[in-house]
Amino acid sequence: MTRHSQIGILTSHWRVWVRCGFVCLCLLPLFLTALPARASDQIAAANNVITNMISQVETYLETDLGNIEKRTENITKLLDTHFDLPAIARFSAGPYWRAANEQERIDYVQTMRGVVIGTVVRNFDQLSGLRFTTIDSQAKGDKMVLVRGLFNDSTGKRPPVSVGWRVITPAKAPAKVLDVEIENISMLVTQKQENITIIRQNEGRFSALIEAMRKRQQAP
Amino acid sequence: MNAETHEWTAMFALSKRSRNRISAAPFAAILLLAACSSVPEAERTDARDPYEGSNRKAFAFNMGLDTHILEPAANGYRNVMPPAGRRAIDNHIDWTGLPATTFNSTLQGRFENAGLSAVHFIVNSLTLGLVDLTEDPKAVKSQDFGQTLASFDVPEGNYLMVPVLGPNTSRSLTGRVVDSATNPMAFLKAGDAVQTMQTLRPPLTAVSTRADLFEAFNDVKYNSLDPYARTRSLYYQGRAGRINATVGKPTDNITTDDQFESFLEDPK
Repeated sequence: MTRHSQIGILTSHWRVWVRCGFVCLCLLPLFLTALPARASDQIAAANNVITNMISQVETYLETDLGNIEKRTENITKLLDTHFDLPAIARFSAGPYWRAANEQERIDYVQTMRGVVIGTVVRNFDQLSGLRFTTIDSQAKGDKMVLVRGLFNDSTGKRPPVSVGWRVITPAKAPAKVLDVEIENISMLVTQKQENITIIRQNEGRFSALIEAMRKRQQAP
Repeated sequence: MNAETHEWTAMFALSKRSRNRISAAPFAAILLLAACSSVPEAERTDARDPYEGSNRKAFAFNMGLDTHILEPAANGYRNVMPPAGRRAIDNHIDWTGLPATTFNSTLQGRFENAGLSAVHFIVNSLTLGLVDLTEDPKAVKSQDFGQTLASFDVPEGNYLMVPVLGPNTSRSLTGRVVDSATNPMAFLKAGDAVQTMQTLRPPLTAVSTRADLFEAFNDVKYNSLDPYARTRSLYYQGRAGRINATVGKPTDNITTDDQFESFLEDPK
């Protein structure tokens, strides 16, 4: 290869690099403006879910008059609309989700849904008189937003409680709540660690967790 | 020794009860640790809990104590004590913890918090802490020796469920022992009223805390699949949050953010 042809190859490589660089420079502003737009969309979607959910909770507290059947029906609707129950189930099963077979997964999701509904119904009155105020919302990556706020007791009898809602914000699906943090304690992480303990105590049997949950559900 | 010096040394001299309490606490902790038999790592339900067998026994004991003494006492306290009285007792409990905050903030080099806690302690001593006379009671960040150890990067050690005291790690238990040994309130030889308050403080703190967390505690106790595992998780998360907020260092464990991040990265 002559010296001239070597210079020619280098020059053509250089031109390609320059063109690529130019294209990148042109696209960079678009990319940079798209990022905050996505983040603000995410935050708006998450805030919207929480506002709607809290408003629904307040309506239910005012209208169900403590009727358990009506309350269970309302809370079921609330959870199905605003919470990502399949993701909650998958997270709370930890590494054992992979080991579970299809039937066990279905049974687990159904049982867990019942347990969650029962827990919320049981504790629903504690939300009475509380007012939620959002303090800040922070994108955690491009798939999740943490909405932080305070529950203040309108009667002043209970101290304010700090609450964080972890909301999944997929680009092409509605935003849904994955976790609730009370005073920086994640309810879902707590449930996951409890579930893992039960499975490990039963030699890694996923079905033992489902049995334990059913037993708890049937207990008075 | 002049009269004034004698008065000061007498004021801060250890009472027989305090001496016994201080020397017995670490000894009891060592005995407890010696009695524990470690579970092999592969068989643990949580890697941080090698003494799960003995910890569960201590937990069962504590739950029995709660059922027969603490829960009824807390229930009565909630029903009988008016909100103002409860607030006064909570204030007093916070006030007695201020010397430990001053001591530990100084050790950690957080001199502003140390100064603030000392000022709050002195100002509120006019009411024995029953009434908060400061403008912003939440300005002081409570600190204990366990947090000081965390700030010096001392590993948190193993999970220990201690009879009567409840959940701890080796590090936080060491902190509690040091805090009780260095608390000037324990050495104070003051009038009968103050001595009585000192004696009543630990049970009062237990009852007041149980009353404040009545519903949440009962939900863990009566509705959990495994109350022991749930308590352990709640303790670790609460402690990690407190250390992160006041010392500014995450704990040795994987954070909640990390857990959710890895979950969302793997959609299967």
